Amino acid sequence: MSDLRTDNPLEVQIKLIRKYLKLKIMADNESFHGHAQERNHVYDLFKRTVAHGESHSALMIGPRGSGKTTLINSVLQQISKEVDLSNDAIIVRLNGLIHSDDKLSLKAITAQMQLENAVGDRVFGTFAENLAFLLSCLQSGADRRCKSMLFILEEFDLFCHVGRTQTLLYNLFDITHSAQAPMCVLGVTNRIDVVELLEKRVKSRFSHRHIFLFPNEDSQGAPHVKYRDLMVNMLCLPRTKTVSVKKNRRSRKSTVTSEDMEIDQETNSLPDTIISRHPNLQHLDQEFVQDWNAHVLSLAEEQKVLDCIEKLCYYTVNEQIFRNILFELVSKLSLNKPYIDVADLSAIIDNTVAPEHRVKLLQSLSILELSLVIAMKHGMEIFDGEPMNFEMVLHRYTKFANSNSSTQTVPRAVILKAFEHLQELEVIMPARGQDHSTDAGATRAHKHYRLQALATPTHDVTEAVTKFKALPTEIRHWFGNSVV
Amino acid sequence: MEELQNKVPCREEQLNGLFNLLGDGDECLPCSIFISGSMATGKTLCINAVLRCLSYKHVVIDCIECYTPKIIFETILSGLEDEEIEVKCETMMDLVNGLNRLQEAQLGYNPIVLVFDRAERLRNLDANIMSAFLKLRELCNLNICCIFVTHLIYESFNFRRGVREPIKLYFSNYNKEELFKIIFLQQKTFIHHLLVTYEVDNEIKGELEKPELFANFLNAFLSVFYRPCRDLIELQHMACVNFMKYCEPIIKNEISAMDLTKLWRHISPILKSSLELLYLRLSDAKAVKPSPGKENSDTDSIPHNFENMLKEELTSTKTFAQSFELPYYAKFLLIAAYLASYNSPMEDKRLFMKNHGKQRKRLQQVKAKAKISEKLNTQLGPKVFTLHRLLAIFYAILEEKIGLTSNLLAQIATLVELKLIAGSKEIDLDTAKYKCIVGYDFISAVAQTVGFNVRKYLYDFM
Ligand SMILES: Nc1ncnc2c1ncn2[C@@H]1O[C@H](COP(=O)(O)OP(=O)(O)OP(=O)(O)O)[C@@H](O)[C@H]1O
Ligand SMILES: [Mg+2]
Repeated sequence: MSDLRTDNPLEVQIKLIRKYLKLKIMADNESFHGHAQERNHVYDLFKRTVAHGESHSALMIGPRGSGKTTLINSVLQQISKEVDLSNDAIIVRLNGLIHSDDKLSLKAITAQMQLENAVGDRVFGTFAENLAFLLSCLQSGADRRCKSMLFILEEFDLFCHVGRTQTLLYNLFDITHSAQAPMCVLGVTNRIDVVELLEKRVKSRFSHRHIFLFPNEDSQGAPHVKYRDLMVNMLCLPRTKTVSVKKNRRSRKSTVTSEDMEIDQETNSLPDTIISRHPNLQHLDQEFVQDWNAHVLSLAEEQKVLDCIEKLCYYTVNEQIFRNILFELVSKLSLNKPYIDVADLSAIIDNTVAPEHRVKLLQSLSILELSLVIAMKHGMEIFDGEPMNFEMVLHRYTKFANSNSSTQTVPRAVILKAFEHLQELEVIMPARGQDHSTDAGATRAHKHYRLQALATPTHDVTEAVTKFKALPTEIRHWFGNSVV
Repeated sequence: MEELQNKVPCREEQLNGLFNLLGDGDECLPCSIFISGSMATGKTLCINAVLRCLSYKHVVIDCIECYTPKIIFETILSGLEDEEIEVKCETMMDLVNGLNRLQEAQLGYNPIVLVFDRAERLRNLDANIMSAFLKLRELCNLNICCIFVTHLIYESFNFRRGVREPIKLYFSNYNKEELFKIIFLQQKTFIHHLLVTYEVDNEIKGELEKPELFANFLNAFLSVFYRPCRDLIELQHMACVNFMKYCEPIIKNEISAMDLTKLWRHISPILKSSLELLYLRLSDAKAVKPSPGKENSDTDSIPHNFENMLKEELTSTKTFAQSFELPYYAKFLLIAAYLASYNSPMEDKRLFMKNHGKQRKRLQQVKAKAKISEKLNTQLGPKVFTLHRLLAIFYAILEEKIGLTSNLLAQIATLVELKLIAGSKEIDLDTAKYKCIVGYDFISAVAQTVGFNVRKYLYDFM
């Protein structure tokens, strides 16, 4: 299938472009743009801890996909170029999704500090003792100077969840106050009220330094203009050949002017770490790249593109979702379709913001199943949204079926199956507030008496019915006529 | 690609989408993909076909089989491991460490795909597990993509903490024409199944193999079955069963294969009656489903027919109830239990006493109210009743006079045992509470055997 062996130069180039762009959109997790102030703030904290041995704590708060993780990666990347991070500091990164309790966290901390051997089979009385031991291990190094530590806790809210004692947090924040070791603790979360979750003893040790990362706040123009520019930035390829990156590197230190010249190229290209993994990207043809970039720029000029993006921004300004869209867009490139089609962009955006999967799900039902949904909708209209059980729905449906000679009669067992099918698809759901504790045998026998509520908004039902081309007219009619 | 389109017909759009997203072997994978679509719309088939075609390393996790996080994690790791070794993996952290170790040892940056089939089951686990899988790529060092396959829509997953959004694909159901096309492609297996079941002359065999015959049958079949059911698997199954019956008279030389009208008249009542068997799959254990691998099913033919008979008999509640040999009094007890369950105790007096004229008027008012609310007792399900009340009704509907014997009480216990009524098996006159758990069809069939009219004593039908 994947015939990279193809001889067609055009095809090779398109594949390379596709590959390059996919990497840039999905795999690049350290090129950060915007939010200069917040980024500086984090940079400052880290730098002061590493270079000057200060201790800090802070929380970074921003919605999903706002680039929190990327910001940190980019800051660490920058600092690693300036100081010898691996020797002067220890970075411990924890994630509430993975390190779900303090025991696991401690294990991970030990591993990331590379102290597994030092700990060995030692048993510790308390968490604090254990942590203190780890820190003391660091101090016993040759120069007797303690390394600085950067603790980054992602999904921070999970570290202070109910049912989880906040011993880890308490100890970490406590160290930032004692002079034991220079340490920076940075919590990252999307919950704005996260401080409320902290225990009092933890709260009192936290510096209350907040760094907010909101997608729109720093952009001058409208969000869709920003996203349009982002799209250009994401889809354009670096102008200079990627091979020459190394050469530029060397010259960078010598003159300031060459650095300025490269800025554009820098923001456009992938980080070296990723490029080095994919040697065949060197075969990108320069002429081709220019042609492609011209195509992207002309695309950005189109009003239709701007309209699409504006529509997207109306629903969401989550950059991660925008990247998904670009990814889908780029993945459609092929020899037969070497350029981006605006219609595709528009279709993908429509599909993302208003997927209408629920309507499609309703349209995937059999006529009988949809009829039951309609019967239920009518019933709920009459009774003010009260839930119904199978018998009641059946009653309404039979009433319709009997009044209509053209509908063939269906055995009760089949209707019950259809009803259960709806349940399985969660088009209807058991009404809340019913106890499930009654003994299992009896409740199973009573499944047709369990009250069910329509879990689908009625406007979705309406839309599904009106757009369902193959629906028999009598059902459409019944739907419209509603209440009998 | 062509080949794949033939193997998975009517899914061009979805196949292309998957191919584009998963790309060539050296491209970067998306972080996660969410595939939804009703049952039997080819989700799993497509994704498996695409992955096999791309020959990416992948693990398919059936979330029904892998019902704990530990099993999921271990399935993933052992699936990616080249050699057969026993892996131990309890937590997400172990998994991430394990993946990173594998990355260094053997996987490198080659594409890895994890497919979570029937992903709706993941909702039974800690929500953080699915959140972590949705951003697994960020958590470990691999070119990895998690694909979630489910019949639910994304909104049903209801992530409270927010997640890294996956790319979503939808598989809409096949319409009538597509169903026709897909089932039609399997004509050979249908014929094959027919030939191993019956002995057929060569001449007739030629007739049976004509595609027109099958097409005609399918049209007739879908005209009956498409309305209540769009589930391809179920339809295939039913089509197979009915195609046999369609061909029976041809094989027996009773109807010519050319005589379409006669064939239609022959099959139409059969189709209608077999509609009742939809989804029931009573003979699932035997080779009813067209499976090309089953060459040796000659022996199945006789039990299969017998089973069909049994099936038809069993599925009708009426015959089922009548075949239930209960003692005479037990039948009345059951009827009494049914009446006690579906009538309000307030109406007992009126229903079961001989002189009750006065309440007529009130009755009409109440009835009017009930009509509006449409909440008839028979629709709301059975209510519990006490033993006292059961016995009172029992004596009222039984014309003859018998005493309260221990035999009678023992029969109540039997009814409980048979799961016809629910309640405790211990008989305690004061505290025991019961509920009748058979339906109206059943009870009216039982009542018929003793010449009793249930409707007459049901408040709802007055
Ligand atoms: N300002 C930005 N600069 C560069 N990339 C960004 C930016 N904002 C978002 N992204 C991109 O969006 C995607 C999601 O970003 P990231 O993972 O950093 O978000 P997050 O805030 O950490 O999300 P979560 O709350 O889920 O942890 C990444 O692919 C990232 O590259
Ligand atoms: Mg993050």
